[in-house]
Amino acid sequence: MSLLLPAIGFGVVTASILALAGVGFTLQFGVTNILNLSYGSIMTGAAFVALLVSQQGFSVWLAVAAGGVFGAIFSVALNRGVYTPFIRRGTRLFGMIIVTISVALVVQYAIQAIWGASFFSLSGLHSPSIHLGDFAFTQIQLGIVGLGLGAMVAVHLLLRFTTLGKAMRATATNPELARNCGVATDRVIDIAWAISGGLCGLAGVVLVMNVTAFTPATGGEFLIPIIAVAVLGGIGQAYGAMLGALIVGITSELAAALISPDYKDVVAFVILIAVLLVRPKGILSEIAAAKEVAA
Amino acid sequence: MRRSIVALALAASVASMAGGVTAQAAAGSAPLVVGEFAPFSGADAVFGPEMAGGCIPAVRAINADGGVLGHTMSCVEEDTRGDPADAVPAADKMIASVTNLVGALGPSSDEALPTVPILNQAKVPMFVETGQAAFDHTTAAYFWRITPADDVKGFALALWAHRAGYTRAAAVFGSDVGSQSDVPTLLTAWKRLGGTMVANQRIALDSSSYETEVEQLVQSRPQVIFTEVDPQTGSTYFSELQQLHGLIPIIGTEISLEAPWLKAVSGALGAGPTAKYIEGMQPYAPPSGPAWKVYNKTLRASSSQVPQPAQWSADPYSMTFYDAVNVMALAMLDGHSTSRSVENRYISTVTAPGAGKTIVYSFAAGKAALAAGHKIQYVGAGGPIIFNKWHNSTGAFEAAKFINHHLKLVGSVSAQKIASLSH
Repeated sequence: MSLLLPAIGFGVVTASILALAGVGFTLQFGVTNILNLSYGSIMTGAAFVALLVSQQGFSVWLAVAAGGVFGAIFSVALNRGVYTPFIRRGTRLFGMIIVTISVALVVQYAIQAIWGASFFSLSGLHSPSIHLGDFAFTQIQLGIVGLGLGAMVAVHLLLRFTTLGKAMRATATNPELARNCGVATDRVIDIAWAISGGLCGLAGVVLVMNVTAFTPATGGEFLIPIIAVAVLGGIGQAYGAMLGALIVGITSELAAALISPDYKDVVAFVILIAVLLVRPKGILSEIAAAKEVAA
Repeated sequence: MRRSIVALALAASVASMAGGVTAQAAAGSAPLVVGEFAPFSGADAVFGPEMAGGCIPAVRAINADGGVLGHTMSCVEEDTRGDPADAVPAADKMIASVTNLVGALGPSSDEALPTVPILNQAKVPMFVETGQAAFDHTTAAYFWRITPADDVKGFALALWAHRAGYTRAAAVFGSDVGSQSDVPTLLTAWKRLGGTMVANQRIALDSSSYETEVEQLVQSRPQVIFTEVDPQTGSTYFSELQQLHGLIPIIGTEISLEAPWLKAVSGALGAGPTAKYIEGMQPYAPPSGPAWKVYNKTLRASSSQVPQPAQWSADPYSMTFYDAVNVMALAMLDGHSTSRSVENRYISTVTAPGAGKTIVYSFAAGKAALAAGHKIQYVGAGGPIIFNKWHNSTGAFEAAKFINHHLKLVGSVSAQKIASLSH
């Protein structure tokens, strides 16, 4: 049996996790202009909240929801309590990056101080595999793909068909103009942190469901592919991040199948560099910009 | 700023060279210090506590027996962070600043290549943790290795699988240098034993999924998997294999018998499947015998300095570090000097077998025998230590399984069989 089709199927699972994380990350940057490098650590925090829920005997999907709620609340609190005061004091992009790295370290080591530097697993992850033609998935993986698809559809509906979505896009494009046009940008930014934090939390939990064993550093180690997805699609572009996730997820699995497992991460980054050479602002940035102007 | 950095670097180098040239005897009655030169933080942070699990009981027993030539002994942590960039200044600092340094435990594979020459130049006897094959024929006079080299592991894995009757095997090893160093000898050994290596996967560590690699593995239809990967990679890879196709027997290196690996993998697979399908090979150091009894008793009595000491009771690396400190102390006694260069000359003298020698299983027994004018052979908790001309001592390997939260020995591969297969 050829490995090509199964690899594409497995790539879709990876893409689903990357899409959840990448869309949250890019949405947050698009609206707030903060490159939040503590994102991976918040994913880990959500995973540990899910672990707490799972240890009480609840369903793993309830644990996923709890992780999402934690991500949303923590992100809003983080923005209000830490990031906003720095911005008010005039801290610029590079300074904010350092602040977010510091937050990432504080969160990671706080988790480590509470839980210890060890490996943890959510319970209830064992499920029979389902074979669909050449594709083979576990039920958990099908759930992850379904969650990823559902979240992407929800983000699409939010951005395209709701007043809030339009306000978010307006804030992302020009916050001052949006404010002058009557958009409550502070509230919009809060909601953007909540949505992106929620996606971050969901991504953190489904990531550790897929890797099965995790540490206080697991989310942080996943940050580079998330940034790659966001940059590939055009930073700040939710649809670009979705497309970027598909490209990175599928090409890395194809590289493992056709070249060598050792090169699965490398190939995805080679594609990233190649795309950025041709389209420096990412795949969808110019298309999105043109649409914003037309709208 | 740049000038002050250069000045600091020069000062450190001069201090390091000064330590190396003199290798002088200890002053007064100040404690003799053994440097635990290993990662205490970073990805391999477990190495440091494992080393302390051997060093601390050893100095405790030595001090309880009156010390060495009027000195007590102590262990000092030197954190290399598992990174050459941190390890090189850590080595310089240890050499320059530790008073009465009589030897080092370590370095590990993470930092051995750049730091062994530094320690050797400074004439610091080092009992290394690294298994890198690059040191199989080292000419560094102060280098001593009493754990098997990585390339020997490949022979042990292949022999164990061959004995179980397997003929088709797959190799699943991490892409890191340490894991990959096992592979060439594994391939050679497996071929010499008549086996077929149906897949040889070099996998990227800590990916979110390995399903494609698992599919590739299953399509090659192996009967057994040889492996060395980190805990997170192992749990992801083998749980995907378990859920998509079912497990097959897995034979890992000593990494797969370490507590973090077992916690991660048994958490993902379940305790039953872990016990049924996974075996690990590690240097043969059975938790029994007179030397081990002394080690274990002293280790358990060191709970104020060694957290959860029982975890190191059957750890072959902790045992060999315990032995290393005893060997250093006995070498100084035999040489009647705390000078590192004299000590180094007597290391093989107190460990080599020989006619008329008194075999001793502890520092106390060795000290008494030397005081009585006897020549000694120290046989440690990890077994006899017989160095070849490159200061390597390779013993047998044992296979163990993780059953009911405990390691259970299930067999061994003798040093003779490994030697005959490797030549």
